[in-house]
Amino acid sequence: MTLPKKRSVFIGAGMTSALVLSACAGGADGESGEAPEDGGTISVYNCEPQYMIPGNTTENCGSRVQEQLFTGLTLVDNETYEAIPGVAESWDTEDQITWTFELSEDYTFHNGDPVTAQDFVDTFNWVVDPDNAMAGANFHDKFLGYEDVSQGEAEEMEGVRALDDHTLEFELTEPFGQLPLVLTYTSFYPMPSEAFEDIDAYEAAPIGNGRYQMDGEWRRDDGIDLERYEEWGGEEPGAPQRIEWVSYSDVDTAYMDVLSGELDIMPEVPPNRIAQVEDDFGENWSQNETSRFIYMGFPLYQEEYQDVDVRRAMSMAIDRDEINDSLFDGSQTPASGVLPGILPQGREGACEFCEFDPEAAAELYEEAGGPSTVTMYTDTGTGHDEYVEAIGNMWQQHLPIEDITYESMEFAHYLELHESEGVTGPYRLGWLLAYPSPQYAMEPLYSTDAHSNYSDYSSEEFDAAIQEANFADLEDSDELYQNAENILLEDMPVIPLWFQDYFIVHSDRVENVDMDLSTFVRVEDVVVTAE
Amino acid sequence: MTRYIIRRLLQFIPVVFISTLIVYALVFAIPGDPIRALAGDRAMSEAVQESLREQYNLNDPFIVQYAKYMWGVFTALDFGTTFQGRPVLDIITQRLPVTLQLAGVTFVVQAIIGVIAGALAAINRDRFLDRLVQVSTVVVVAMPVLVIAFLLQLTFGLNLGWFPISGTGQGLRSFILPAIALGAVSMAMIARLLRSELLDALQSDYVRTATAKGLTRSRVIGRHGMRNSMIPVVTFMGADLATMMSGTILVETIFNLPGLGEQVFSSIQAQEGTVVVGIVTLFVLFFVVINLIVDIIYGLLDPRIRYE
Repeated sequence: MTLPKKRSVFIGAGMTSALVLSACAGGADGESGEAPEDGGTISVYNCEPQYMIPGNTTENCGSRVQEQLFTGLTLVDNETYEAIPGVAESWDTEDQITWTFELSEDYTFHNGDPVTAQDFVDTFNWVVDPDNAMAGANFHDKFLGYEDVSQGEAEEMEGVRALDDHTLEFELTEPFGQLPLVLTYTSFYPMPSEAFEDIDAYEAAPIGNGRYQMDGEWRRDDGIDLERYEEWGGEEPGAPQRIEWVSYSDVDTAYMDVLSGELDIMPEVPPNRIAQVEDDFGENWSQNETSRFIYMGFPLYQEEYQDVDVRRAMSMAIDRDEINDSLFDGSQTPASGVLPGILPQGREGACEFCEFDPEAAAELYEEAGGPSTVTMYTDTGTGHDEYVEAIGNMWQQHLPIEDITYESMEFAHYLELHESEGVTGPYRLGWLLAYPSPQYAMEPLYSTDAHSNYSDYSSEEFDAAIQEANFADLEDSDELYQNAENILLEDMPVIPLWFQDYFIVHSDRVENVDMDLSTFVRVEDVVVTAE
Repeated sequence: MTRYIIRRLLQFIPVVFISTLIVYALVFAIPGDPIRALAGDRAMSEAVQESLREQYNLNDPFIVQYAKYMWGVFTALDFGTTFQGRPVLDIITQRLPVTLQLAGVTFVVQAIIGVIAGALAAINRDRFLDRLVQVSTVVVVAMPVLVIAFLLQLTFGLNLGWFPISGTGQGLRSFILPAIALGAVSMAMIARLLRSELLDALQSDYVRTATAKGLTRSRVIGRHGMRNSMIPVVTFMGADLATMMSGTILVETIFNLPGLGEQVFSSIQAQEGTVVVGIVTLFVLFFVVINLIVDIIYGLLDPRIRYE
């Protein structure tokens, strides 16, 4: 079946409308009690975080909590996906190499310490220090001196300097116009000096400078409770007074808990529930476009896939809409490029060879002499095998391919096979934006020798195009990144498949439940309508 | 008796050694580099990966890793840490109570329901109650635990609202549904086992003698029939309590109970050898201890059995 696409009614609504809603919600939903004046308490699904130190958190379970506990130099505007002031009130650069950030004096850590430029400097150096083995260290790699510190040859990065208490200066190794967007990421949140004295104690109850503060410690495998931090230096405080993150080991169980009213918000409805979500929740659900990109890559180190026509033909032989309807109940957004459609730079119909055209595909494949036997690779995980096989079936049906075999393996094994260049056929993988920049949607995946460039794609033209876009001023870069994307869509080192939509379900007592492109629920905007 | 127990306890030592070695080897044999997988799609920098590998001895050959682990256990009671740096002992002390409560409630639930159902079926042989027990136990045994768990969640959690669907927030009540799911199959087995044993016993000479002596029916069944019929049932329940630990992996995950089973599952996926070994060794110890206790109880139930 196909579900009608329903976007969250309140997408685009900022805090103003949220406040209006909360004001009239009490009357509208009067039967279920009054809206609490202090904003009330919400309980939200979470998976168990790996870490609770911002520099170490690169997965979603920890990031979504830390986003509330911390405020970085810059924040993401979730309507325009631009960088807006966080702790930094303003920033300036002439050459995209040297950047000056003026910090607000209104921010304090939850322990009362003021947030100073030196805190940022100390935190960044600490995160990059190899002794601390922080997973987010390499997000700092554009800073001058990153190499020295990460190799253990220096203590402090030369390019990160506090000019005074409230002025930060960054010097980069090369021009990089996207810096304000990059700085929105978890790895750049400030930690108070107290943190470095006993990092284990700090991790149990992180002291941040964000909208919310810890209430008690991180209860491992159970949950994390946050309380609104009334001294927060920003302009739009969180709406709920209290946020309770509940750790679940099984998404189905969480889904049922929302159904029974035990849990308020669950943003990761499992695929097998999507067909019934409207019956179960009536109005209390939404389908949200995200930046989670699913692609089919080619091992370009294998000879059979070095001909661009083979890759184009294989892409044209996939009926994305059909798979979306029959396999996913319409829960994906078929890709028309490698840039997420949700980004302002994403374009409808950018990918010429993503249009389903079986005849042209067969002809092209025949001419290019594409392989007659194909092995497809996937990591084991919810539903991966199913769509990889569906694609295989389409290839076998539309292209002169005699035999397709499937290799499915655990993620760790899968990555190792990639790194040893042992993959012999098309493989599935995904990518999620850490910060909303088209640079992050492309550079780590496709530039020569980049860390997540599993296809081993190497194009001087593309590298030059990405560099030109990175060097440009943030305002002028959109078109330059689109130029780089055009090269990828011609060369097809990977076949863009779709962007995964996330389904949120929520209880009757909350509304204005939105999601951003990183798949995080904007919990700070949720309005509680009943006790 | 004491000598027997001491001998059995000494046997624990090789059992623990061999089982840790096997489990460690199995986790080691899982293909792939756990540190690389830790960061998911986004690779960590080489320096960070290398320092983590060094920290967790992952660069060493298998036998050196194992030796370092065992050395830590014996010299410093250091059972290693997760890749997140959490000591395994911490995890065990935090999660053991949850698993023990689950096992305890399961044991009680399955013993009570299984024994009552089995006894009722035997006493009412070939009548409605007997048929009901026979049919329902076949159905339960045939159903996967996963299905039973979902049915319980849907019926008693969601629709009737009698018990919580997940978590441990409501004390003992939280454990009822998981316990039924975990114990369902054994419950059915106990009922069927006891039924057939009790039927045999009720036809045996000593029971007829007891009846002939003019004892009441309840005394005949309770004192004479049941006592003998319970020996295989106790063996079964003992062995079952020990193997129950592996069932907790599935049930704890579905009911979101933060116990040891759930941890084993996620640690196997993350290839955290030390965590898996720590917990599985605990399961093994649990198994051998329970078996010992069952053997001792035999002697109490059946005076003919004596240990030297």
